[in-house]
Amino acid sequence: MVADESNGPLAIDLHDVRKVYSGKVEALRGIKMQARRGEVFGLLGPNGAGKSTLVKIMLTVVRPTDAKGTILGRPIGHKKTLARVGYLPEKHRFPEYLTGRQAIEFAGAMCGVDRATRRRRGSELLSLVGMLDWGDRKVSTYSKGMLQRVGIAAAMVNDPDLVVLDEPTDGVDPVGRRDIRDILATIRERGTCVFLNSHLLSELEMVCDRVAILVQGEVATQGTIDELTAGSRRYEIRIAGPAPDWAAEAGLEVCDQGDRGTMLVAPSPEAAKVQPLIDRLRAGGISILGIQPVRESLEDLFLRFVHDPDTGSARPPGAASVPRKVPPSMPATQQGGDA
Amino acid sequence: MTQISALFIDAYRELNHRRLFWITLGLSVIAVAAFAAIGNDEEGLTILHWSIPFPLLSTNFIPSADFYKFIFAQLGVGYWLGWVASIIALVSTASIFPDFVDRGSIDLMLSKPIGRARLFLTKFATGLLFAGLQVLAFTAASFLVIGFRGGDWEPWLFVAIPIVLIFYSYLFAVQAVIGLLTRSVIASIIGVLLFWMLLFMVQTGDGATLAWRVTQEITTERRAERLDRLQGISIEAEDERLRLMDLANDGDEFAEQDLVQATDESDLLAARYLAVQEEQADELGTLEMARKVNGWFHLANTVLPKTGETIDMLGRILRDQTELVIPMRGDGDETIRQFGEMVGPREFNERLIAAQDESHSYAWVLGTSLGFEALVLGFGVWRFSRRDY
Repeated sequence: MVADESNGPLAIDLHDVRKVYSGKVEALRGIKMQARRGEVFGLLGPNGAGKSTLVKIMLTVVRPTDAKGTILGRPIGHKKTLARVGYLPEKHRFPEYLTGRQAIEFAGAMCGVDRATRRRRGSELLSLVGMLDWGDRKVSTYSKGMLQRVGIAAAMVNDPDLVVLDEPTDGVDPVGRRDIRDILATIRERGTCVFLNSHLLSELEMVCDRVAILVQGEVATQGTIDELTAGSRRYEIRIAGPAPDWAAEAGLEVCDQGDRGTMLVAPSPEAAKVQPLIDRLRAGGISILGIQPVRESLEDLFLRFVHDPDTGSARPPGAASVPRKVPPSMPATQQGGDA
Repeated sequence: MTQISALFIDAYRELNHRRLFWITLGLSVIAVAAFAAIGNDEEGLTILHWSIPFPLLSTNFIPSADFYKFIFAQLGVGYWLGWVASIIALVSTASIFPDFVDRGSIDLMLSKPIGRARLFLTKFATGLLFAGLQVLAFTAASFLVIGFRGGDWEPWLFVAIPIVLIFYSYLFAVQAVIGLLTRSVIASIIGVLLFWMLLFMVQTGDGATLAWRVTQEITTERRAERLDRLQGISIEAEDERLRLMDLANDGDEFAEQDLVQATDESDLLAARYLAVQEEQADELGTLEMARKVNGWFHLANTVLPKTGETIDMLGRILRDQTELVIPMRGDGDETIRQFGEMVGPREFNERLIAAQDESHSYAWVLGTSLGFEALVLGFGVWRFSRRDY
């Protein structure tokens, strides 16, 4: 579901963003996407879907073939607005002669931040990303995880209203990932829009308020994870022994789990509708081993969109010449963000 | 302004990180120390406290201050800064633009609130820092050496700083654009050195053909004078022959006897005149050829930046502003063979310098060279602004 101003000011409001590279490669085919301030927005998509191109267009690294919309209320490509944007590119590279602190302060200076503020922010951010003890050492001595932490700090030095992070947890160990999640939460609390581009779906699922899935240069769907997985929400009831005779009649899916009993799946997201089933099971003397609400994971959702329903295999990267087909299980209101 | 100063500070840090920068600076210190160790006295050249008899370099021939200024302009700037240090600088700064546009690094720069043209041109300017700091250190040290050793505190020496920077900027502009297009350090180094070689060939060609042209001009002028003289003598001889013929016709026996000799002489002079006239026609043809070839080279030289002539401007400026005496070879009056012709070196040098001053003025050297640089940088800005990274 597309965000609108009623839910808070939009940090990103893109319409009809198109990019055709030389050689007639159509990387983006009319992107429409919105992200609000104070939320973490995740951009997903398989390789070659156009995610990096979209991010680079927002950051003026790539020139769009056509683009309408705004970033922080100013037209896309407005250079001065970038003073309020932080960016961590994928596989970013700081010059090896800089220390972490110098890299952060240099990023600040390039955003026009004054010297005193750069110094103060440098120390604060090094502390925030847990690099205070390493701040005055050369970045050439850093591990990949340390570079990512300093990169995030550099993206934050100008106190931005929008932070775009491209694979921020790339190469970071589990502890580091948790730390980065905490940092993202801190950034969000400040009212900043965090725009995440990542392949790590489980990471995104934990931090993102809203996501968009990009497939072959188009937004396949976007909205909150709850909205996008609403159709898949259900209750799973595990019982001892075989399924009762009336299970199919009551609309329950039955899954025999051997020694672990039988799983009955009620395709309703509402708890009230499950209560009569529980009563009926109990009345029949059936032992209930467990009941839990279940929904489709972000990974399931992602795979659903990136697989071609006709062939069952993943769609090829890039913009295909064949018009994209919407998976049959997807509600019409979720398509292309045109709700 | 914050962004520009940040880019310059970053460039300084980068230089500081490069060993070649410090090696070059160390070599500059050694060069200036060697400069301080030599001098001249009434006997000739001195090295520390040793004196080497060498009259051409004695204070009788060239004053101490001029000696140092000459060494500074010709060897210090002409060879050390103009060649060796510049090659080291080009090698050392070759990676600036390929690194700058490297993926992961360029994204960080382009995503900042600074226009691409400004970013490219500022990055280019920071690349001149290497040459700038080298020439600043070398010139300041040389100024002190000339002051203390030569007794002449000559502020005009500092004109070497902009001159060397301008000279270096021609080459660095080409290197920057090659680095931008190819993203290759090796291609940047090879490309700029080949370009410099081309410039050297064109400038040498322009200089050599100008010398050829001047030689031919002197030759044809002399031959024209000789033709005039021969024509005068021939007319006199013919007049004499006609006078004798009239006398002989009047029955003067002596005149009749002299007429035979006068006729032979007149015929000989006429034949010599015709021969010289033919030679002159050939020389004029050669002069035409020299002018044409020089015109081609001069046109090519006009279009391209003039590295050598920009560095040579320092000597010219010191000569004009400080009355520096530049020792020149062949100042004597004896004629020498040059381009197959006999010319007087003094006249040739004077004519050549006049021709150079006329066709290779400061405005021409700097204007056309900077024009070329502006075109190259303009192309670089255009390419950088339109490219996706």
